[in-house]
Amino acid sequence: MARLAVENVSVSFGGIHALRDVSFDLESGAIVGLIGPNGAGKSTLLNCISGITRPDGGRVRLDEVLLSALPPASVAGCGIGRVFQHPELVVELSVRENLMIACHRSLNYGLVSELLKLPHVWAAERAAARRVDEVLDRLGLSESADLTIRNLPYGHRKLVDLGRALLMEISFLLLDEPIAGLNEIEVAKLRDLLLRLRSDLGLGILVVEHNMPFVSGLCDRLVVLDLGQLIANGLPAEVLSDPKVMASYLGEDA
Amino acid sequence: MTVATDIARSRRRSLSLGAGRLLLGLCFAAACAAPFVLNGYFLYVLTLTGVFALVALGLNLLTGYAGQISLCHAAFFGVGAYVTAILTQKAGVPYLLSILAGGLFTAAVGAIVAVPAMRLRSLYLAIATLGFGVVLQKIIFEWRSLTNGGGGLALDPPAIAGYELGATGLYFLTLAFVTLGLWGAWNVSRGRTGRALLIVKESEIAAGALGIPAARFKVIAFAISAFYAAVGGGLFAYLVRYIHPENFSVGLSIAFLSMVVIGGLGTIGGSILGAAFYVIIPELLRGIKDAPGLVFGLLLVIVMVLMPQGLWGLVRRLGRRT
Repeated sequence: MARLAVENVSVSFGGIHALRDVSFDLESGAIVGLIGPNGAGKSTLLNCISGITRPDGGRVRLDEVLLSALPPASVAGCGIGRVFQHPELVVELSVRENLMIACHRSLNYGLVSELLKLPHVWAAERAAARRVDEVLDRLGLSESADLTIRNLPYGHRKLVDLGRALLMEISFLLLDEPIAGLNEIEVAKLRDLLLRLRSDLGLGILVVEHNMPFVSGLCDRLVVLDLGQLIANGLPAEVLSDPKVMASYLGEDA
Repeated sequence: MTVATDIARSRRRSLSLGAGRLLLGLCFAAACAAPFVLNGYFLYVLTLTGVFALVALGLNLLTGYAGQISLCHAAFFGVGAYVTAILTQKAGVPYLLSILAGGLFTAAVGAIVAVPAMRLRSLYLAIATLGFGVVLQKIIFEWRSLTNGGGGLALDPPAIAGYELGATGLYFLTLAFVTLGLWGAWNVSRGRTGRALLIVKESEIAAGALGIPAARFKVIAFAISAFYAAVGGGLFAYLVRYIHPENFSVGLSIAFLSMVVIGGLGTIGGSILGAAFYVIIPELLRGIKDAPGLVFGLLLVIVMVLMPQGLWGLVRRLGRRT
């Protein structure tokens, strides 16, 4: 069982402390919600885990691998998938073509072979296309495979972004506000899909989300940040009734 | 474009692919027949078109796919021309081997030029590459013992395996390189590298999250692009048979960039059309007394206003109607 550990992570931008000494961990097969008011440091923490932001102090580890010393592409190569709040897709390409981009690391042919399109390049591309078909099927996007992203509804674009992460043979998935902009039916489908991904693939999932009913219904555990500091870490029911959380996040007097 | 047009497009894809292959075959047959129909001057113009098309193919991978602007491609073209000429003329290396060596050497130079590209974008990158272009041109000018500096290099007619190529031979050699270059660029654009370049252009952060190191692929794009430019340079040197550092100034870099934009950014076929437009149209306008430059300039404006996706965009639109 793999373990993603955030250990005493601190990040400052100029004189502002975005994160102070934050520690928690996530094991494969667990779904953890990362919540907190705007500016709490949630996205900064996701950026630290995925290698986009280098922590000023502390470290992020995947088992014995020190992720915080690696560039983003290497972090992704270690099996950490990231789905962004606003999907960054190539809008002029089709759904299938966008998903093929995510097969990059599994296609290990060289540039000269690619220039000459040698037989093993054909074989590798066909194998990647089959994997893309499987993911399209899992996401319920087979019918939209040849549509360009430009003509795709926003909810489906988010699924394509999720599909890209799934094609990377990940063990952990980081989701940044996955239900922002989705309607109720899409939210319910996404919740079921994430639960299936956990049970089928054993993924560890870290979700940044503001929607309390969604996170409390989905997550095994909640981690709460406020002004860059971790103020609670536990079961959803315990965390949401914690006076400190209610005071800082829900705006109620403790 | 709507969902309906997307679906229609996917249904038509196999049909248009067949039509496209037929058209490509016809173009290739016409290109093979050209030397037997055209006079010496027009054969020279067509060979020059092929040379520039090679450069445009490489530049389109860099600018159209990876989103990196370069204003030093004339210098890459010049480095390729000089390395090929010096190896062939002074060291006695066979011509084809010299072209390949010039390409590989310039690819390494391109990889070095890519270092600032890791940090710079858009106009800032354009200015940095402009600086590199000036430096490379100056090195060619000042390294007199090797390049003969401002005196230029006069070259003997090219030969392969002891046979002098002549205008027709050089034309067919250029056609062979363009065909190979077109095939290679097509494969790269539709493979792992081309897809990586597209996501690097869209978002370096998204590329990183997909395990694609943006910096490495910028270097690869510059190196491939410089290789194409240098092979074009090696052919150009023996087409004109006299090269001078002034041949490779920033004006030519801007011309290469114009070919790519006119043809269609991010399109392989557009690179060929852009080069043809840039070389052949001014030749056709020579008959207009005193005003070919003016008319060509106006044509450039008209093409860009009416066809923002370039000439290849027009070809695609016409293809959809048929």
